[in-house]
Amino acid sequence: MSLLATASGDTPQKRALPRWAGALAVLALLLVAALTALCIGRFQIAPQRAIAILLSRVAPMTADWSAMDERIILLVRAPRVLLAALCGAGLAVSGAALQGVFRNPLVAPQILGVSPGAAFGGALAISLGFSGFALIGAAFAAGAVALALVGALARVEGRSDTVMLVLTGVVIGALFAALVSLLQFLADPNSSLPAIVFWLMGSFSAATWARLGIAAPGVLAGVAMLWFMRFRINVLSLGEEEARALGLPVERDRWLVFAAVALIEGAAVAVAGVVGWVGLVVPHAARLLVGCDQRALLPVSAALGASYLLLVDSLARSATAAEIPLGVITALIGAPVFAALLRQMRRKELAR
Amino acid sequence: MIGLEKAGAQRGRRWIFTDISFMLEAGRILSVLGPNGRGKTTLIKALAGLVPLAAGRRIAPSVIGYVSQSVGADIPYRVLDVVVMGRARGLGLFGAPGAADNRAALDALELVGARDFAERPFDRLSGGERQIVLLARALATGSPALVLDEPASALDLANQNRLLTVLSEVKRQGRHAILFSTHLPQHALSVSDDSLLMLGPSEHSIGPTRAILSEGNLTRLYGLPVRRVTLEDEGRAPIETVVPLFAGAAP
Amino acid sequence: MSCAGIIGGAALIVASCAPLRAQADCFGDLAGREVCLPRPAQRVVTIPMPSASTFIAVDGSAQRLVGMHPSSKRAIDEGLLGRMFPQARAIDASVAGVGADGFMPNVETLALLDPDVVVQWGDRGDDIVGPLRNAGLRTALLRYGTEPLARGNLTLMADIAGKPERAKELIAWRAATIADIEKTARDIPEARRLRVVYLQRAATGLAAAGANSYYDFYIRLVGGRNAADGLAGAPSINAEQIAQWDPDVILLNGFEERLTPARIYDDEILSATRAARERRVYKMPIGGYRWDPPSQESPLTWMWLADLLYPEAFHYDLRAEIARAYRLLYGQTPSQADLDEALRMPINGEARFYDRFAASASK
Repeated sequence: MSLLATASGDTPQKRALPRWAGALAVLALLLVAALTALCIGRFQIAPQRAIAILLSRVAPMTADWSAMDERIILLVRAPRVLLAALCGAGLAVSGAALQGVFRNPLVAPQILGVSPGAAFGGALAISLGFSGFALIGAAFAAGAVALALVGALARVEGRSDTVMLVLTGVVIGALFAALVSLLQFLADPNSSLPAIVFWLMGSFSAATWARLGIAAPGVLAGVAMLWFMRFRINVLSLGEEEARALGLPVERDRWLVFAAVALIEGAAVAVAGVVGWVGLVVPHAARLLVGCDQRALLPVSAALGASYLLLVDSLARSATAAEIPLGVITALIGAPVFAALLRQMRRKELAR
Repeated sequence: MIGLEKAGAQRGRRWIFTDISFMLEAGRILSVLGPNGRGKTTLIKALAGLVPLAAGRRIAPSVIGYVSQSVGADIPYRVLDVVVMGRARGLGLFGAPGAADNRAALDALELVGARDFAERPFDRLSGGERQIVLLARALATGSPALVLDEPASALDLANQNRLLTVLSEVKRQGRHAILFSTHLPQHALSVSDDSLLMLGPSEHSIGPTRAILSEGNLTRLYGLPVRRVTLEDEGRAPIETVVPLFAGAAP
Repeated sequence: MSCAGIIGGAALIVASCAPLRAQADCFGDLAGREVCLPRPAQRVVTIPMPSASTFIAVDGSAQRLVGMHPSSKRAIDEGLLGRMFPQARAIDASVAGVGADGFMPNVETLALLDPDVVVQWGDRGDDIVGPLRNAGLRTALLRYGTEPLARGNLTLMADIAGKPERAKELIAWRAATIADIEKTARDIPEARRLRVVYLQRAATGLAAAGANSYYDFYIRLVGGRNAADGLAGAPSINAEQIAQWDPDVILLNGFEERLTPARIYDDEILSATRAARERRVYKMPIGGYRWDPPSQESPLTWMWLADLLYPEAFHYDLRAEIARAYRLLYGQTPSQADLDEALRMPINGEARFYDRFAASASK
């Protein structure tokens, strides 16, 4: 808990900066990240041409580019950039909300068992030879099943307290992780095994407009729900008893938050596999900037999460001819950044 | 307004208290006294609706202005944001506080004399200041019933006095029924109209504070000799207080 | 000096020396160890996937093979081998799992089969060999991935079968085919060398075989260029990367059962590559074993690819070649329907130049 507390230490000074200026800076960062991501890739297209292709969709222009250029920008990179931004924003927002509800800065969206569940669903679909929408549907459904299991098991005498929830999440997560291992054990080493392994590590390489269309409703609905509940989450972050004393149906509200997180996480895992670290690290960075109030934290986390995943995905798809799994990069960047953030927060705390 | 009717609460199979009945009206203060472990906190939480009753019933408005005993230094928000959370219930699931809510929160801070704290981070306040702010939050709920669990237990003498002053000020306005638990009979004598003594799981007495806090009752309650004294102070009205006769304080 | 060269050379030496040795039942394996059998092997178990079909081909029967990897079994059921050797379908395939740790043998299941020798991978660590050794089972290790190793594997299987002359026969066929192809491929001008991508995975995600793979070897053998030779191994790639390569020909692996050229033609990006526009997307055939990786049938793969890449330069009558090869390898004559199936005529029939493999085009 102490970590949550320290972050607010800066609130008065930060408020000296006008709100709109901060919002503008974060939005600008996101826009720059998105445009940069759109302009780089293995297929060589000059940045001004890339942007011209994009603009040609809204304004009449003379096309001085090839059909392939246009397809790469509009069919490959645009949906991929949007999908990466969407998932990054969604995962970061889920992390921020969960860390608030659990009053614990070490909580990440994986904690509710949704990611391992969705991972199992996806792996099962791949090993049965399905791809595309069947894979997405299976991942989503299994993620929801995992959450429902956690909910049912954690509920004792009509209530589920925090420790029980986290432990149950760990147990169900381990169960589904074991099922994933079982699938890997059973998978054909020539075909489905490498596909499962790569999918589990996370990637946006299969991004299409159709996939974006599948993921977007889930992620957007979840994010919108969390945004509307921003003040509720603030109150929930006071702790269960305080919130109940303020007349809130804590149990119900918490499950609404979890449902929103499951929606986001299930949709993200379904289209991009398991992308770790974003939901854990990004909210910490956002808290350093704006403090713990979800009303500021959620939008800033969303923008930072989107920018971060855009950066990571750009690296993943263009650093080498081979696709680097996202999970590898998010962990390679996330772990040291997280360590640095923790140290900085601790130092601030000691300096109080 | 707020009260209990033949109420009892259990932990496991053990009864914490049984058969407590009272009714508190607006403009009145009830203090709850008892030694450690006698169930003061359980009673307070039962009144706040946080602990289910095993017997009897609770009569209370839908929201209670509740101030818990253990409010940590870990609430990472601005004071105004903390106080405005008192409005949460009325805002609905998807609501966020607006100008009217902020005004109510500021009014509450005004009432407890903490208007200046509004922009400060809550976790940087002293324990006494936090307690005052939480009282403001309880007021901001708009509930006519305030329930406080040992609000003064962590405070130094000056802050104790400040809190008691605020409580009597709130009482004077006549819109709230106030109920608090305390370890110090002096607090009860200072502000409360009525007192509830938790003598045993099934034994308690309730009545006007001055009558019920007799030397006999207090000695029985705490298991040590206690004296009621009236002190004259120059230029002030005489005040009544209680002196526990601790061991070994020979001059 | 590469290990492959050493081992390949060693295998050849062993093969050529074998008849001269007093004890004909001792031979080297591809991990450089000596394997001695007290009597000709009567009960053989193979764990590496291609070995089962290689052993059947070398031995000319499925009698002595008593256990194999489940993936080998799947290839036998899926391809022609199961039809040519019906008893192969009854062979135990429970000696190992199929997945992540799939080459870890179940020693007790193996022991029940009472094998004279167990063929195991020699290049995937000792963990999968140790349990066999520990149980007192005799092992012969093979390695994989290059043409010299492929020949070494043939030699090893022939040694186990006690028929070293079979290996020489099959290696001679390989060498002759390579020489024949090289003779023609040499004259293909640099500018006309087609850029080929072999997609090792395409049904879910995309993966292309890079430099130093066996696929790279035979693409270059027939006069093509591996467009993905900047890669090492067979990593995942994205469609954009393939668009950047813009290959002339795309080869689809034969492993993924559901994978067909429609995967390429229906993809918004891949369908715009030169390969797709010219309908030069081919799914790898499957005969007695899959044609993609090194096996006893590899010369047929090379001829198939040569014919498809440079139809004006190469003129193999593939149906006749397959029939001849199957008499050599399996002592059997495939039917016209078998040939259609091996060449995957229903899937590849529409592709450019594939009509030359049709029954009507063969003499």
